[in-house]
Amino acid sequence: MSDFMQAGQITEAKQALDALRANMRVTIRGKDDVIEQVLVCLVAGGHLLIEDLPGVGKTTLAYSLARSMDCAFSRIQFTSDLLPSDVTGVAIYDDTVKEFIFKKGPVFANVVLADEINRATPKTQSALLEVMDRARVTVDGEAHAVGTPFMVFATQNPVDYEGTFPLPESQMDRFLMRLQMGYPRAADELEILRTQRGGYDAIALNPVVTRGDVLKLQALAHQVFVEESVLEFVLKIVAATRIESEFRAGASVRGGLALRTAAQARALVYGRDFVLPEDVTELVAPILSHRLALARQTSDALEERRAVGAALRRIVAALPIPA
Amino acid sequence: MEKKRPQLSLDELHQLKWLLGGGLTLLALSTVAYMEIEAWELMGLTSVCAIDCTLWPTLPARVPPLVHLLAFPLIVAVFVGDLWLTASPLPAMVRLDMLLLLYRSVSYRQRRDDLQVIVLGLFLIVVAGVLTVSLLFAAQLLVYTAWALAFLLVVTLVSSAEGPASESGKVKNVAPPWAVHADWPRLARRLRAVADWRVVALGGGLFAGVVAVSALLFLAIPRFQIENSLFLDRFMSKKVKTGFNDSIKFGDVTEIQQDTSVALSVDVTDRTQLPASPYWRMLVLDQYDNGTFKLSPILRRSAFGSERTDTIVHGEVRPKLGAAVTWTFYLESGVSRYLPLLGGFEVLRFRDHQNFRLGALVDVLALRDEPLTMTAYRVEGFEISDLLFDPKFPTAARRREHTIQTWINVSPEDHVTLDRMSNEIAGGAKLGAEAFSRRAIEWLRKNHSYSMSPTLPPGTGDPLVRWVASREAGHCEFFAGALVLLARNAGFAARVVTGFRGGTWNGYSASFTVRNSDAHAWAEIFDPAVGAWRRADALEIAAAAQGPETKSEAAIVARSDRSWSARLDSLRIFWYRRIVNFDQRSQLETLKEVKIAAQSSGQHLRDTVVGAMAALRAWLAAPWSFTRGVKLVAVIGVLLALVWATWQHGREVRRMFLRGGRGGCGDPVRADASRWLARLRPAEDSAREVCAVVGELQRLRFGARTTWPAPEPVFRRARQAWRAQRSARRRVSRS
Repeated sequence: MSDFMQAGQITEAKQALDALRANMRVTIRGKDDVIEQVLVCLVAGGHLLIEDLPGVGKTTLAYSLARSMDCAFSRIQFTSDLLPSDVTGVAIYDDTVKEFIFKKGPVFANVVLADEINRATPKTQSALLEVMDRARVTVDGEAHAVGTPFMVFATQNPVDYEGTFPLPESQMDRFLMRLQMGYPRAADELEILRTQRGGYDAIALNPVVTRGDVLKLQALAHQVFVEESVLEFVLKIVAATRIESEFRAGASVRGGLALRTAAQARALVYGRDFVLPEDVTELVAPILSHRLALARQTSDALEERRAVGAALRRIVAALPIPA
Repeated sequence: MEKKRPQLSLDELHQLKWLLGGGLTLLALSTVAYMEIEAWELMGLTSVCAIDCTLWPTLPARVPPLVHLLAFPLIVAVFVGDLWLTASPLPAMVRLDMLLLLYRSVSYRQRRDDLQVIVLGLFLIVVAGVLTVSLLFAAQLLVYTAWALAFLLVVTLVSSAEGPASESGKVKNVAPPWAVHADWPRLARRLRAVADWRVVALGGGLFAGVVAVSALLFLAIPRFQIENSLFLDRFMSKKVKTGFNDSIKFGDVTEIQQDTSVALSVDVTDRTQLPASPYWRMLVLDQYDNGTFKLSPILRRSAFGSERTDTIVHGEVRPKLGAAVTWTFYLESGVSRYLPLLGGFEVLRFRDHQNFRLGALVDVLALRDEPLTMTAYRVEGFEISDLLFDPKFPTAARRREHTIQTWINVSPEDHVTLDRMSNEIAGGAKLGAEAFSRRAIEWLRKNHSYSMSPTLPPGTGDPLVRWVASREAGHCEFFAGALVLLARNAGFAARVVTGFRGGTWNGYSASFTVRNSDAHAWAEIFDPAVGAWRRADALEIAAAAQGPETKSEAAIVARSDRSWSARLDSLRIFWYRRIVNFDQRSQLETLKEVKIAAQSSGQHLRDTVVGAMAALRAWLAAPWSFTRGVKLVAVIGVLLALVWATWQHGREVRRMFLRGGRGGCGDPVRADASRWLARLRPAEDSAREVCAVVGELQRLRFGARTTWPAPEPVFRRARQAWRAQRSARRRVSRS
């Protein structure tokens, strides 16, 4: 995998990612771990689901990422009356040319912010399936590529479930990661309070990487070397979720592949051309937690998230880590 | 470093705990099967409930709350009633124990209940062990201990995972979540997945070590009798299954023959003294009444002396010159209170004091009570013969002082029938006892065949006379009884003797094994010509059929039993010989054997080394030649090559053997890098050099081979960094 990687490439990649990280830190205070995971998701070429209470910075994070890159960005506010065509686009008959012209929807961008994704109907949510999987939209039998890189940045509120449609498992599996923002620390929050801010449009960040840089990073991540024992470790984790009695079903093969890819991306974020076991252990929860459902019903979604997280931590603690 | 948590989830630990608790209950309950306590129905009920509730853990939730409310008062009431009605404390306590186990099986257990299950089970195991002192007890105790340890471990894990508040707030008739989601195949898969076999092996090894040390201590400490120390058997009404009683009906001996278990095991110092088909005499019966042979009051009065309590019994046989052959008998419990003997003896020794009566005239030794555990006794100077000399009998008979019943209680019609048959046997001639016995046996063999399930011919009169007059097949009791009736009718004193005939030589334990299936009855006819009782067995195997030289060592070895059952029997014999009946003499013998074995092994090793050194010296001292020189050079060359190969590739070879041991990396460089990474733990304030070395080690361990730096310099720097870290730590600890 890494036979063709040059030391210079790694250094350049690290510099680019450090610049991206530093740029995002300007607007996202005290959330270095979240920023790092967002970068991992970006480099791995995956999609991100952020769950948390309103007002903790989910949308700001998406804006920060998008504006730090020289890429097209669009935001879709999901509501119950949103139609699939509102997302993907629609073919309209153009009288002047006497044919249907495809009008691209907001999904045609490099970074798409799907805000409050669980407020849309399952039909509209499903419209995202193909585009998340294949980075293209098929309308009237004609496929339209959305462009590369392509990253869906979805948010949802795990507490307020009134009038929402929980994402189906098939769609959850399409997301590489699920993250929680959490409240900032007191010192960081004080700093945020001091900052004068006027809405998302006021987020003024200079792009530090280009679209081409992101594509290079994504290509480079796939070349990061994964040693055999680390691969076996990934497999053991995935296998352990399949025999864990607390889970209704274990992680899918796609889940295992996602964990490996994300670990490669994390290694690159840290400037390495090989994966360490800690790359895997750090990413188990964000990569696998949304793919696993408890066998037992829980009172609310937050309780379920905690139980799944605890079970995953226990699995990782129980397995021998390659040393 | 993060502390490792239990590998199983809390629910799975609960399920495992439930499973182990159920298994422990069943293991303890199984002891009741051989305790001879009337609790079969309760055992069945408890076992079924324990199995069902263990396999389907939601069942206890269906038990009505009223049961939990009334359980203990009811159990106590049952126990009091049981004690009052049976007046037998130990069986009542065993049944109480089983009731408590039953209740614990059908209710969800908390920590203290689990501990109670262990104690209740242990009570059953110990009681069964003390009462039976069987080999099964040893095996069961070992399994129980290991099982209870595993159970305690899981109980502790559950308690530590649940925390202190876990004991409160549990409702007995609501199935907990772990019970609802119990899936045993899944749990088995989980256990297999999370089991650390090294820990399991270590635990097993430690347990085996503790058992081994206990065994060594057992060999070394002075003897004492557990059952006598605890007096538990005195709490039980004694009841033993036995076939050899003072009164035997037709079919009693044959019933014993259905049982193939071991009845008697005999060690003999000179095995060539073993007869080809030994007759183990136990009981002499002289009174016959309508199909039943009994020990007559006359014989009981005349033959048996007063009861004595001693460890030593002197027989009628005079000591002979030379070392007497010693026979050590191990009589299983439940056989009889009459001890099997080969005939008259010089001296018989018990391990402990016994209450007994010796029938010196009939060479029978009777204990007062049926032994509840195996009885061991050692006999010296057996007089083994077909003839049992009784010089007082003719004199007593002449004076009409009856020492044995010699008349027949049959009707005149039956007497006529017997006269007719006696005449047929004698052919009108006046025969001696030996000739009559021989002819009577031939006559019986001609008219009757052998069968384990005989049928008596219909009609009136004495059943045995009817059988003799018929041509029906019969078993040993018919033949022996018929011989006695015919002999008495012909004017000879005769009696029935019961015991065992034959047995097998166990090649594993080097002892003679007699099974219940060897039970036999035969007749003894007094021969006035020699003044002795002559054995008359119509079913005696012909001498020719036993093969030539049956008494020789080789013949015994050739006929020895080497089957699996013989192997198991040898284990039982070892248990009784070396554990249960391990007296000071046996202890000394064992220690002597161990010493001899150690000395001979040491001597053998010394001889081998000395021999090899002498051979080498002789070889070096011999005149040198070209061939010898070449050989020497070749040997030195091979040795040097071995040293060189070890130097060059020893580590790789070692790593090949250790493959998978450290993180599963078989590559020697990766393995070394892994070792150094484990040693070098860079802290926050680590020097840049250490961080750089760790980075390179990580690359060697996890990076692509093509990107590796030269390994040796990295390892050298790692060694230096590690030494520096160690010195720094020492300095800090000193200051």
